Amino acid sequence: MKVIYLVRLMKELKEIMEENRNYLIELDSVVGDGDLGLTMGDGFAAAYEAVKESNEADAGKLLYAAGKAMSIAVPSTMGTLMASGLMQAGKVLKGKTELEEADITALFAAYMEGVQNRGKAKIGEKTFLDGMNPAVMALGNAVREGKPLLEASREAEKASCEGFENTASMIAVHGRAATRGEMSRTLKDPGAAVAVLIMKALVKSFED
Amino acid sequence: MKKIINKPENYVNEMLEGLYIAHPDLITYAAEDLRCLVTANKKEGKVGIATGGGSGHLPLFLGYVGKGMLDGCSVGDVFQSPSAEQMLAVTKEIDSGAGVLYIYGNYNGDIFNFDMAAEMADFEENIRVESVVAGEDVASAGPASPGEKNTRRGVAGIIFVYKCAGAAADAMLDLEEVKRVAEKAAANVRTMGVALSPCIVPRVGKPGFEIAEDEMEIGMGIHGETGIRRGKLEPADQIVTEMMDKIVADIPYEKGDEVAVLVNGLGATPLDEQYIVTRRINQYLKEKGISVYRYYVGEYATAIEMAGFSISLLRLDEELKKYLDAPAQTPFFTQL
Repeated sequence: MKVIYLVRLMKELKEIMEENRNYLIELDSVVGDGDLGLTMGDGFAAAYEAVKESNEADAGKLLYAAGKAMSIAVPSTMGTLMASGLMQAGKVLKGKTELEEADITALFAAYMEGVQNRGKAKIGEKTFLDGMNPAVMALGNAVREGKPLLEASREAEKASCEGFENTASMIAVHGRAATRGEMSRTLKDPGAAVAVLIMKALVKSFED
Repeated sequence: MKKIINKPENYVNEMLEGLYIAHPDLITYAAEDLRCLVTANKKEGKVGIATGGGSGHLPLFLGYVGKGMLDGCSVGDVFQSPSAEQMLAVTKEIDSGAGVLYIYGNYNGDIFNFDMAAEMADFEENIRVESVVAGEDVASAGPASPGEKNTRRGVAGIIFVYKCAGAAADAMLDLEEVKRVAEKAAANVRTMGVALSPCIVPRVGKPGFEIAEDEMEIGMGIHGETGIRRGKLEPADQIVTEMMDKIVADIPYEKGDEVAVLVNGLGATPLDEQYIVTRRINQYLKEKGISVYRYYVGEYATAIEMAGFSISLLRLDEELKKYLDAPAQTPFFTQL
């Protein structure tokens, strides 16, 4: 695949965050301060704007630029985490002018790594990572088994949905939800919902 | 919402425009961005000190940029972190080769962005950056065990960290030493607050919570974070005693200790009441055998129009006394 594929992916991300603005606001209003829908909508829109007309041949530089634009547009907690993911993906894919299947796995593994390094959360602490980690693993496995990217991304999406559902059995350790302690357990994590949306956008990027 | 504003979305920038008009001798801005506030009197060879955070807390954070304290401050929307890019612009402007120290409050949005800015400063600009995160609100969480992350919120006590680190940098100490002084001040300060009414974020237009006419919330944070207990409003002496019990027991501050006291209004509590509070703090500390080296009373870190106040104690040694006493001049803090 050419680097231009990443512009398509950023467009799908922007659109899905836009469509789910109110859904994220509602989820976040229960446990957080309710601005997640705005942050993700504005953030991914800024990221797409930064690269939509780009002639950048380096996949890494393109992702880094998208991340940096997001970090400027939405310096909130979740905005900065998502920007850190894009920037880390940029660092890992730096120098690539063609993308193989394994590079797509590497992109999302790096994205998750960037988020984890910045936020210092662990798996199981009811965050974005609990939606993203199962997806990254499923994507990696499917690609290694030689499945085409559309099928692999569908498996990743399914895994992220399960991960999101599973956050309803975890106690929040981070953010405002953490102040609820045991009371936070039955609520699903809005950050993990963002991971599901990212995977849905990935599936769309491979559909015609 | 009853505020003297124009459009809510212009709240921060118009506030900044006013500040630059009123204090041209002390502050200016970098990168053609009003929100990248820096000192107008850069001192060559000195360690630069930067802070940053959301608006709505004046004089915090930007009000302490000037001579003898901070060199720069990135300014966010109301209760929102500024961007790493803005922090980086401030860092570049205030560095003069001796490196830059970040001092900011313990909130995730600020931590993530300052960490990102520090990485950018290192990778992109080759500027040495160190960070000290202030988190001293005893009502927000228990003390961190050794090796564990401090989860306490940073509130008014950060002013003592600014003051001591700022004086150390002004005395031309190097980055490691300025950081050590900042850490020492941060380790010896504790704060607790009480709120009587909520605050309104201009773009939201209504309070996020209510406090009944006859109630108070002990331990509430400066963005309205939940405190320790909600109860009927009590006489000043009783409120102060409850807060002081919690603060003094925390380090703990002991008989024979010498402290600086900061009484801080949250935005809508008159100075008269703050001095009534000060009176009781003095009695309380006398009873405990703790002597007060210096009082600061007034608005230092507000929560827009929240009514209430906080008390901060800084335990002093000879070194911290020296830096606390050093002269400083900023738009909101002048000491001869």
